[in-house]
Amino acid sequence: MPRSAAAPPMLARQGRALPTRCAALAQRLRWLWAPSTLALLLVGAALALGAVLTRGFRVVTSDGARRVDLERNPRPLPALELVDSLGRPFQLAPARAADRAADGRAADKAAAFGAGAASGASAAPVATIITLAYTSCTEICRTTASGQAYLQEELRRRGLAGRVRQLTISFDPQRDTPPVLLQYGRRLGADYAGWRMATLARAADLPRLLAAFEVVLLPDGLGGYVHNGAYFLADADGMLLRAYDLNRPDQLLADLLPR
Amino acid sequence: MKISLHPLFPGLLLVLLALARPWLDASMALHMVLELPLLAALGALAARAAVAGRRAAIARPYAAVMLLAAVLLISIWMLPLALDLAVVHAWVSVAKALAMLLAGALLWLAWRSAGLMLQAFLMLSWGWMNITAGILYQEAPAQLCSVYLSEQQWTAGAGLIALSGCALTLWLLDAMILPALRDPG
Repeated sequence: MPRSAAAPPMLARQGRALPTRCAALAQRLRWLWAPSTLALLLVGAALALGAVLTRGFRVVTSDGARRVDLERNPRPLPALELVDSLGRPFQLAPARAADRAADGRAADKAAAFGAGAASGASAAPVATIITLAYTSCTEICRTTASGQAYLQEELRRRGLAGRVRQLTISFDPQRDTPPVLLQYGRRLGADYAGWRMATLARAADLPRLLAAFEVVLLPDGLGGYVHNGAYFLADADGMLLRAYDLNRPDQLLADLLPR
Repeated sequence: MKISLHPLFPGLLLVLLALARPWLDASMALHMVLELPLLAALGALAARAAVAGRRAAIARPYAAVMLLAAVLLISIWMLPLALDLAVVHAWVSVAKALAMLLAGALLWLAWRSAGLMLQAFLMLSWGWMNITAGILYQEAPAQLCSVYLSEQQWTAGAGLIALSGCALTLWLLDAMILPALRDPG
């Protein structure tokens, strides 16, 4: 005869009661398993997608995503032929390398960015501030232009003018011919030695230019464009290192200053 | 509701909406306040046409999960980043349409069986999310979307606030105030 059967009825009932009650509860909640697992999976998938889209929950805008992407993975400038406001053609990418060769100085990769600006040992240009614009723009390009003008002034004031160059590239090569760019530069007070206005030598290169800088250009139906903008920083080796928000040219300046 | 629709009706409306896409996508406000809700409404309409009277049987054990999925699907398109991608890349635009259609279908299927508590939770959190986003859009100092100028942000923000305000008011009337008036006991 099993021992449990010999136990007082009270105890026996209590001994069975807990597991039975747990089992009953589990039975009653069994329907929850599938939905709650599914809910967890959904939340997991949403978090994963959100993390990818927002670059680890750091940004909510495309410009912010580009800033983080460039910070993580600097990339080479595209090989594009530009023409400046004096009608002279030049290459966007190897321009820095060519400048250095002309200066007769050995390439010093360590002096490429930040450290180079800080050392003061080399007078060769170590960085280029690039903005994209079109001269008939009445919106964002005015902000970028005034930002570049502010940077020109600050670079001059801080003795960095010789080592940091500025470049404004027009993405409207049809209208922004060299004479138009020259006028534009004069209006902005651009000092040609340090701040060049340029546009594409071949209009067909436009998609490559826009893709390289992740600029979206949509006709606004009034002869202008809806587009985004930023300040870009490229080093002497033609690497695109950083992008800065339009309202933060000061951050770019801070990165150029000796640390 | 006893209105019966031809099963192809939601599909026809979707084609019309697809044709209107260039116009809708051209404005941030129309994109967020008209296009996205219309897609969800079409999803709901399609679900209604597809399941007819079997809604309760389908949804009962999964109502909460379905609502959660709908909220997640809708929330993606609150990100300016996602709106940019949807305007620039055709395949993201298709994904957006599918996500909103699915969200609408899920909402319609799960709504009644979810019960008042879940409905209230969803309405209040969605309304709150929209109003917060609307205020943020209006106050944002910088351009949020690459494809929309910053002037459009104010209108889009106002539209989001108006949309969620109307939805919340209608829901409160339907779920809380009118039943209370009808049945004072």
